[in-house]
Order: sequence, then structure tokens, then C-alpha cells
Amino acid sequence: MDYNIFTIAPIVLLPFFAFVINIFLVKKFTKLGVLLSCTAMFGSFICAARIFLDFVFNKYSTGYYIHKYFTWFDIGTEAIPFKVDMGIYIDNMAATMLLMVTGVAFLIHLFSTYYMKDDARYGRFYVYLSLFTSAMLGLVLSDNLLSVFIFWELMGFCSYSLIGFYYEKEGAGNASMKAFMTTRVGDVFFLLGIIAIWTVVGNVTFVDIYKTIGNGGFDSLMVLGIPLATFAGMSIFMGTVGKSAQVPLQVWLPDAMFGPTPCSALIHAATMVAAGVYLSLRMYPLMELGGLTTMIAYIGGITAFGAATIALIQTDIKAVLAYSTISQLGYMVLGVGVGSYNAAFMHLITHAVFKACLFLSAGSIIHSLHDHHTHAHVQEMPRMGGLRKKMPYTFWAMMFCTLAISGVPFWSGFVSKDRILGDALIQATHHTSYIGPAVLGFVAAGMTAFYMFRMMFLTFFGEPRDKDLYDHTHKEGFSFNRNLPLLILSVFTFGIFFSGSLTGQGLTHIFGDRYEWFQTLIEKPKPEKFSTYERQEWGFADIKSEANFPKASYDPSYGLPEDEAHHVHYMHQIGAVMSIFIAFFGIFMAYMMYIKRAWNPAWWVNTFSRWYRALQNKYYFDDFYIGGIIQKALIPMNNALAFFDLGIYDRFAVDGWEFVNRCVYKATNWFDNTMVDNVGVDGTGASVKFFNVILRWAQTGKIQFYMLMLIAVLAGYIFTLV
Amino acid sequence: MMSLASYLFISFFLFVCGIIVMTARKNIIAILLGIELILNACALNFATYTRFVNQNMDGHILSLFVIIIAAAEAAVGLALVIRFFQVKESVHIDDATQLHS
Repeated sequence: MDYNIFTIAPIVLLPFFAFVINIFLVKKFTKLGVLLSCTAMFGSFICAARIFLDFVFNKYSTGYYIHKYFTWFDIGTEAIPFKVDMGIYIDNMAATMLLMVTGVAFLIHLFSTYYMKDDARYGRFYVYLSLFTSAMLGLVLSDNLLSVFIFWELMGFCSYSLIGFYYEKEGAGNASMKAFMTTRVGDVFFLLGIIAIWTVVGNVTFVDIYKTIGNGGFDSLMVLGIPLATFAGMSIFMGTVGKSAQVPLQVWLPDAMFGPTPCSALIHAATMVAAGVYLSLRMYPLMELGGLTTMIAYIGGITAFGAATIALIQTDIKAVLAYSTISQLGYMVLGVGVGSYNAAFMHLITHAVFKACLFLSAGSIIHSLHDHHTHAHVQEMPRMGGLRKKMPYTFWAMMFCTLAISGVPFWSGFVSKDRILGDALIQATHHTSYIGPAVLGFVAAGMTAFYMFRMMFLTFFGEPRDKDLYDHTHKEGFSFNRNLPLLILSVFTFGIFFSGSLTGQGLTHIFGDRYEWFQTLIEKPKPEKFSTYERQEWGFADIKSEANFPKASYDPSYGLPEDEAHHVHYMHQIGAVMSIFIAFFGIFMAYMMYIKRAWNPAWWVNTFSRWYRALQNKYYFDDFYIGGIIQKALIPMNNALAFFDLGIYDRFAVDGWEFVNRCVYKATNWFDNTMVDNVGVDGTGASVKFFNVILRWAQTGKIQFYMLMLIAVLAGYIFTLV
Repeated sequence: MMSLASYLFISFFLFVCGIIVMTARKNIIAILLGIELILNACALNFATYTRFVNQNMDGHILSLFVIIIAAAEAAVGLALVIRFFQVKESVHIDDATQLHS
């Protein structure tokens, strides 16, 4: 397969052109605009699938990549170079991301034709969706941090617009602003990190950053008393914290559920929040160099655990999924922290698939539950129950995804999450500082299984608790835009697509030698590998002969010494057994509490009432931010600045300048009135009037008088001459 | 033979008479007569100077021109006076005030 501008650029440009054209179609030709968006998305999906298939089935090499760039602008001089390059960088990770994003986005576009059809702003939704998708794909294709940042902010804008999509709903506007401002906190640090890297590397291309790391360019550089690698890595990780909703900036994601459910599925579950983790993975060598992995593991573990606990008590079906998303993102960050690079990325992909499906299923439920008294859709789980019979397709799709996210064997969540937990366990046996994240991860795994099955049981099982609502719900028939996306996504929750071994442990495998294709394809960027790397100019010549790229092969011992490899396998097996046990324990608890009703949930609430209140208040993060930081720090600072602005600057500088102007005005006014008007203008008139008085007597009108005057003048003239 | 001064004296006398007639009289015909006197003074001056200074015929010819112009001027002037009399029933110069504001 050849790569040129016509096979790669459409991935980004098709949705973008759809967005541009859609702006003009949105009012009058809504249906055409929707069709255009969906078609563009499908075309983009085809292009991405070609690249993915070529990378995985033809090349099948960890070292293979495409890197093309062109100079965007060059405003530097000899002494101070300042050149900004833009380009694409596709390796196996980017190719997999491309396939996931385009696939999930296309299915969500399809589902939205069902979900948003009756909405007043049906067309506008697709405008934002197209823009968002093109920005996300641009981010994945980017070869440098600057264009990542640009697309990152574009996605932030789309997220803002879509959260506030139902702006007439109370709280939606505030939620969108909250999301934008909270991620902005992380973005400021991200930009700082880009600047810090720029000072060292001279540009922000991934490859050059790796190369500089490999050459030791970051060593012994300090900024503000800490190593520059730590500073830059921390700053970029703060971008991840903001975008991927990690502690302490996780507060925006639950509020983001004000948006339409398909946009929650696409933006706040599958792609945008995963972009933060993607950035962390890209910048992993820098974070490792900066010694940040322990801290990242802790942040990930705390996020996974905290969000899972809050999800335990949520009653809104979308809120459960929102906290579950935060929790799963915490797992990915934990995976980055414990160094299980490909497992974190695998979890990103598997999570994107099953969480998109879960959100779409939730959307399918919400859309069909219509309250006839308030004319609103119902999201509260206490009013559901027994919906299994009404919505069989949605039930099965959601069931598969729930099994996947709970970590039940043979489903994708088990494969990916278990590897993260296994690696955390290995790290914990090596360094005691990793025990905390590992324990938090395992406990959160149990709670994940519990709250997901609690959601399933409350929604689909038991007797309908709101009989009126239940009776008004239509029975679900199969429709291509409602159920097909769900079923396609739920098929891809099987673990077999991600790992050919049945248990996900590389023990029993059913495919050929590529049974661990994911594990072998995605590997940590090794900075020393890039030291001989030459960048390729734009032009798509064949970059290197294929002989330079050996086929990837799965090494069961990971290239480690025998006893170490044995230890790794042993710990992975322990981790697998533990996580299976924990997952089934969580499911069992949910079963006893919500199906058998043997254990009353109210008992837990009463016994741990203080914890229950803390969970209801989301660990008081919002109270702390609003009551503490905003009220106590930011508003006084705002008042002080306002005093400076109004009391000092306005009063002395602005009003002082006004005083000066008034004095100048008075002087010029006097000059104008007195000198110009009175002396100049009126003086001219007065002089004319004066000469008029003198000369008037000569104008008698008598011709003989004129004659006399003439003679007198002539006589005078003659006498003067003589 | 008479001297140059006596010719010029007569010419001056005629000129002053013409000026006085032209400015002092209110009758338009009298004013025209004054103008004729001035012209005759001029013609005499020409003839005198060509006789005493130039010694050629230039002054004589110019004198003839002056006489011809005087005749033409008298014809035009009298025509104007007649027309003026038809309109105003008067030949008084102070009645010609139509252009006076």
C-alpha cells in the first residue's frame, strides 16, 4: 500500500469539510447535512482502516512508522532559529487509534440519527460532531506537541459547545463553562511544558524529543530548582490530568453529562478524555526520565478508586457511567505509571469500545423512557427496572459491555485491565512505593464490577418500579441506526480481538504466532532507537526498505532473564486469579443486594452514613473548589484587582489623563474663541467694515465727481513725478 | 514767428476750459462740448510739437485722426443724448441715475 496525501489527509479533512459545508446546510437542509457528516465519517473510517490493516497485517513491525513534515512558518534568524514544522507521524499506536476513533465516531454518528432526530438543533449537533472528530483525528496524526495542543483546544471547544447543547436546561451552561475552565487549568501547564521542551529540543516533534532524550540532552538541566525533565513531564502530565479528568481536576466530567448522550459517548467516554492518556503515552519517555512514574501511578490509582466509590451510590444512569469513565481513565493512568505501556493503550482502546457502547445503550434507554407528565426523558435508575423485556437488543449490548468493564474473563476489559493490575503487582513486589496504587487498583476493580452490575440490575432486572413509565415505553424493534451500532460495538468487547490467548495471559492461545498482536505491536518508544533517525520531508517517497523493519514476534519471556520472566509470569497469574475473584465477588454482592434483596443497601447507607454523605458530595471537591479556592482565594484576589483597577488605575491614571485633557481643552478653547474667532475672523470683518466707511463717500454715483477725482489723481501723479 | 510756449499756452487754455465745462456744467450737450474742447487742445498740441520738435508730418496726421474721432464721438454722443432725452425728457446729467442704487 502506498501512502500519499490522498490516502492520509482525508482522514482529517473529510470530517472537517463536512463541518465547513454543514455550517451552511444546518438551517434549511438539515437532513442533507446529517447525511454529509455520516458519509464523510465513513470515508474517513475507510481510509483509517486501510492504514490500520497495512500496519498490522502487512508490515507487522514495531519499528515501522511514517513521518512526514513540512515547514509551517520560519521567522527565525541565523542566531535565533524559530521554525515551526507540522507533519504527520503514524506508528502502530496512531494507526490503532485512528481505526478506533473513526470506527466509534462513525457508529456514534449513526446512532445520533436515532437519538437526536426529534431535537430542535439536530443539524447543529452534527456540525459540532464533525468538527470534534476531525480535531481528534488531527491530534492522533500529529507529529508534534504544538499541533497536538491546537487540536486539543479545538476538542475542548467542541466539548464546551456540546455540554452546553441544551442551553435552556438549568445548569447546562454552568457545566459547560466548568468543563472548559477546569481543563484550561491543565492546558496552561501543558503549554508551559511545551515551552520547556522547546527550550531544550528546539522544536516539539515527538521524534526529536525522543532523540534528545536518547542523546542525554535533558540531563543536568535545571529549572526553578528541579530537573527540567521533571518540570516538563509534570507540566505535560497536568494536561493529561485536566483532559482525562484525573484527581484533582476530575470535577468537570460528571457535570459534562448535561450534553446529549451520543456526545457523552464520543467525547466524554471514548475519544477526548482518552486523548489525555494518549498524550501521556506519547510523552512516556520524558515522564520516565523525569522520575514521575510513581506519582502518576498514585494519581491513577486514587482516581480509579475514588471515582469507583462515588459511582457506588449514583442513581442517575449517566452519572454512574461518568464516574465509571473517570475510574477507567484512572486505570489507564495507573498503567502509564507502572510502566505497562501497551496494556494502558490496550485499555484505552477496549475502554473506548465498551464505554461508547454503554453510553449509547444508556442513550437508547433514556430516549425511550419518556415521562408524560413532565415531558422529559428519564435518567433516574430508581424509576426503571424490568426493562429487559422491553429492550432486548439494548439489554444484550449493555450486558456484554458490563461484562467487559467488570473484568470477566473472555471479555476485553479483563484482558487489558488485568495486565495493568498484573504490572502494578509486579512493580509493587519490586518497590514498596507501588503497593498503594496496586491495592487501590484491585479494590477499585471489585467496586467496578459491583456498581456496573448494580446499574444493570436496577435498570433491566426485577419488577418495574415506575409502572406508568414502564407501560408507556414501546417495545424495542430492531432498527439499523438504534441497535446496529450497539451490537457492532458489543461484538468488539470480546477479548479475542485484542489478545488471541483465551485468558489474556499468553498461556492458551488459539491463533498462530500472532496471537498477541496487540502486545507485540505497541511498545514503549525507546529513545536510543531514534538517535540515528532521519526526518523525512513531505513527499511520500518510500522511507526505508522493509528489511529494516523485522516482523514483530511475541517473546513470552519479555526479553528478561529466566528467573525474572518466571517472576513476571507468576505475578501475572496471581493478578489474574485475584482480579477474577474480585470481579465475581463484586458481581455477587450486587446480585445479593439488588436481585435477591438479601442484603439491604439501606443498611450500608445507615452504617456508613458519614462516608455516604462524603460520596454524595463527591468527596467535597466541588465544595472545596467553590467554597475554598474560588470564594476564599480567587474572589478576594478578584476584588483586590478590581480595587487596583477601579480605585487606583481608573481614578488616577484614567481620570488624571482626563484632567490633563480638560486643561488642554480650556487653553485651546480660549485660543480658539479669543484669538481665532474674535481677532482673526471678526477682525477681518471689522477691517472690511472700517474701510467701507472710509471709501463709501467717494462712491457718489455722479460721473462728474469721478472725472474730478480722476483729474485730481492724474494731477497729483504728475506733480509727484515732477 | 510765435514761440512754442505761446502755442502750448493756447492749448493749455483750451484744455482747462474743456475741463471746467465738462465738470461744471450739468447739461449733457455742454459736457460734450467740453470734451470737444479737450480734443481740440490735444490736436493743437500734436500739431505744435510736430512743427517745433519732429519736423515731419506725424503730428499733422494724428491731428486729423483726432478731428475724425471727435466728429464720430460727437455723432455717437449726440445720438445718446437724443435717446436719453426721449426716455427722461431732460438733458440734465443728474437725471442719469438709473444704475445708482
